[in-house]
Amino acid sequence: MRKNHPERPRTLSHPLILGKAKFRKITEKLFLLFLALLVTEESCSSRNHLREGILVIGIEGNPTDLDPRTATDAYSNRIDSLIYNGLIRLGPQAEILPDLASGYEIKDPLTYIFHLRKGVRFHDGTVLSSRDVRYTFQSILDPRLGSTRAAAFAMVRTIETPDENTVVFRLKEPYAALLNALTTGVVPSPEGRKETSPPPGTGPFRLQGFRRGEKVTLEANPEYFEGPPALAGVVFRVIPNDITRVMEIEQGGVNLLYNAVPPDSLPLVEAEKRLTVIRAEGTGYSYLGLNLRDPILADPRVRKALALAIDRPAIIRDLLRGLARPASGVLAPSHWAYHGQVAQFEFDPARARRLLDEAGYPDPDGEGPKKRFVLSYKTSQDRLRIRIAQVIAQYLETVGIGVEIRSYEWGTFFADIRNGNFQLFSLTWVGVTEPDIYYYIFHSRSLPPDGANRGGYAHPGLDRLLEAGRRETDPGKRRAIYARVQELVAEDLPYISLWHNEEVVVLSREIQGFQVYPGGDLISLSRVRIGTSP
Amino acid sequence: MKWFVLRRLLLMIPAALGVLTLVFFLVHLVPGDPVDLMLGESAGVADREALRHTLGLDQSLPRQYEHFLRDLLRGDLGESFFYREPVVRVIAERYPATVELAVLAMIVALLIALPVGIVAASRPYTLWDNGAVFFSLLGVSLPNFWLGPLLILVFALKLSWFPVSGREGFASVILPALTLGAGMAGILSRMIRGSLLEVMGEEYITAARSRGLSEAAVWLRHALKNALIPVVSLLGLQFGALLSGAIITETIFSWPGVGQLLLSAIASRDYPLLQGCILVIAFTYLGVGLLADLLYSWVDPRIHYGRAS
Repeated sequence: MRKNHPERPRTLSHPLILGKAKFRKITEKLFLLFLALLVTEESCSSRNHLREGILVIGIEGNPTDLDPRTATDAYSNRIDSLIYNGLIRLGPQAEILPDLASGYEIKDPLTYIFHLRKGVRFHDGTVLSSRDVRYTFQSILDPRLGSTRAAAFAMVRTIETPDENTVVFRLKEPYAALLNALTTGVVPSPEGRKETSPPPGTGPFRLQGFRRGEKVTLEANPEYFEGPPALAGVVFRVIPNDITRVMEIEQGGVNLLYNAVPPDSLPLVEAEKRLTVIRAEGTGYSYLGLNLRDPILADPRVRKALALAIDRPAIIRDLLRGLARPASGVLAPSHWAYHGQVAQFEFDPARARRLLDEAGYPDPDGEGPKKRFVLSYKTSQDRLRIRIAQVIAQYLETVGIGVEIRSYEWGTFFADIRNGNFQLFSLTWVGVTEPDIYYYIFHSRSLPPDGANRGGYAHPGLDRLLEAGRRETDPGKRRAIYARVQELVAEDLPYISLWHNEEVVVLSREIQGFQVYPGGDLISLSRVRIGTSP
Repeated sequence: MKWFVLRRLLLMIPAALGVLTLVFFLVHLVPGDPVDLMLGESAGVADREALRHTLGLDQSLPRQYEHFLRDLLRGDLGESFFYREPVVRVIAERYPATVELAVLAMIVALLIALPVGIVAASRPYTLWDNGAVFFSLLGVSLPNFWLGPLLILVFALKLSWFPVSGREGFASVILPALTLGAGMAGILSRMIRGSLLEVMGEEYITAARSRGLSEAAVWLRHALKNALIPVVSLLGLQFGALLSGAIITETIFSWPGVGQLLLSAIASRDYPLLQGCILVIAFTYLGVGLLADLLYSWVDPRIHYGRAS
């Protein structure tokens, strides 16, 4: 009979097979080889990079396309803010500042004239001219390019270049949001140039290397028109995992994380002496979207009851670790057009219950398990979003509204939202800088696919105001129009405002001069200096 | 042998085609429109339709499939919707990282599993054997999403021996290879132990010993080589799985491999890239399977692949 094991345990001398001396010899050789390999490596920490003036930034996702005309993802846009310049740029309060244009004049609501800075050079050494500006925006309007920005320039009738340094935009109809759209990076016209992908820019840093899914390397542009940056370069490293990113910044493998630390991990990095945490008011706006075609949600009393039933400060405190501020509308308080004197809905479940009773949805059994009605709440598979949905559902249950949470993979979720296949959903508008966003999300003509009025909201008075806001070029008058818009929207609640997410930047203490700009613009890196380590 | 390899290579074509056809129709059935994901909501109907036309998505599904097959025959996998570059180039940039990690994970697994398996088999039912069982259970049970961060915490953060993540030379591959290799080492060491114990009971082992061969020679020359036969087929399967993308490990260590690429292609409904990744994975599996079969005949000379096999 075959035995499964030898009858007597066979003890081999240790090491098992080889002689001791030979084993030791081989082990020593392997160990030396291993050490040699490690020694030839770059240092584990990027503190060496920092000493050489190179800043390493960790980003959560992969930048897919760095061409500023076609870039769609937030990471590409953030990197582009260092490589390219627009005709204008936005200041910390989303105010319009000159960039490649030394100045501009609005001759009439249909004519915008831009005067270019002289002597600005692209990274390939060629001089910027009005032809490059015209080419940039004409190519965006060319459907063959497939640019996401085409809609922002749909009002442009012609782009004229009367001389090398002047560009004239003539519009089909007044469109005050044009200025905001002109923050798009300018690329060189291919005439007489060697075409490269992505094209060269004029920004403080130029592209040195792009290893997809891994990193983007930028080097300082010594010819930058505002003076060469103090940094020698910037490296963007793709680190998709939250925990890994936090450990990287703790170890010094990266030096800066922009909105890339999960709220739960913030206390960890705050406790780290080598790191600084900057918290600034953000332009992100989180909201609860409602389908106003739904007979239950079409009733404004129900919408108000929903707003009153949710304790937003408690969610901000407990789930978001204080990294947000309750919102009353799409625009953040720091925005030039913000208007705070609007209807506010503080947590008041008793009033919510009364409103639901008035709307004809009495609670069938008071504290019992039966619900007034049940709503479905769609969200993505992001863990924090699911937890937020669970907490909101809990609040709504306390006033007698049943909630079924359904979380979907992003593509499926987004398709459902666009197709109006939802009752409630939660999302965030990021980088809100132009008040014309109200047109895009609430005008009755902005139903998908022509806009993002996903809930099918229609309010003739609001439509008129939004059209006026687009036409008006005087900042004072525009502010007054959008103040009224904010009042109307806050009163009628096509969205339930949740909060403005704070911008949270974690950076090595040696980095000096970093400033937070709306929408994650990293342009302040052109002025950042590396100081001494504490 | 030559015919066997040729036949297996030819058989790969219908197998890969079958996988691709299935994937082609499945991805088109999944909700989510790549044009929406590319253009966002701000684009007008005309821009949307123009892009749909440019991408060929305005055609019927059978027609798209026909184009896809025609391009495939020419060796063209199309252009990635999001990267706006040929799929072949995008995958070629990532594939070496995946191969590097898989090979090193396999080496790590073997380096751990061979001694552990041999120790366990040489001292069966002793404390050593029990220790080996504990180790292999540990290796199999520890999920990568836990082991990876733990290894980073100890070896990168506390000891600063290795970088936390990224792909910056040899030091950076150690921790991901350990994470991936640990689970495999657990399975392999159990297999090696079992196989060795079975072989050690064979008559030719007794014969070898009676010829006065040293214990080391008996184990190395006679036992281990024969015990490796079933291990090789397991290795083939495991290696195929490693090459097809260890998505979790790649994500934890920011390793720019095919696994992460596949994940992003699914999320963005990048059909050409998704199909390209699947094609590469299918061929990898089939290729590694063929290699394992060839290794089999090398380890066990009784196995011949000929015309009749």
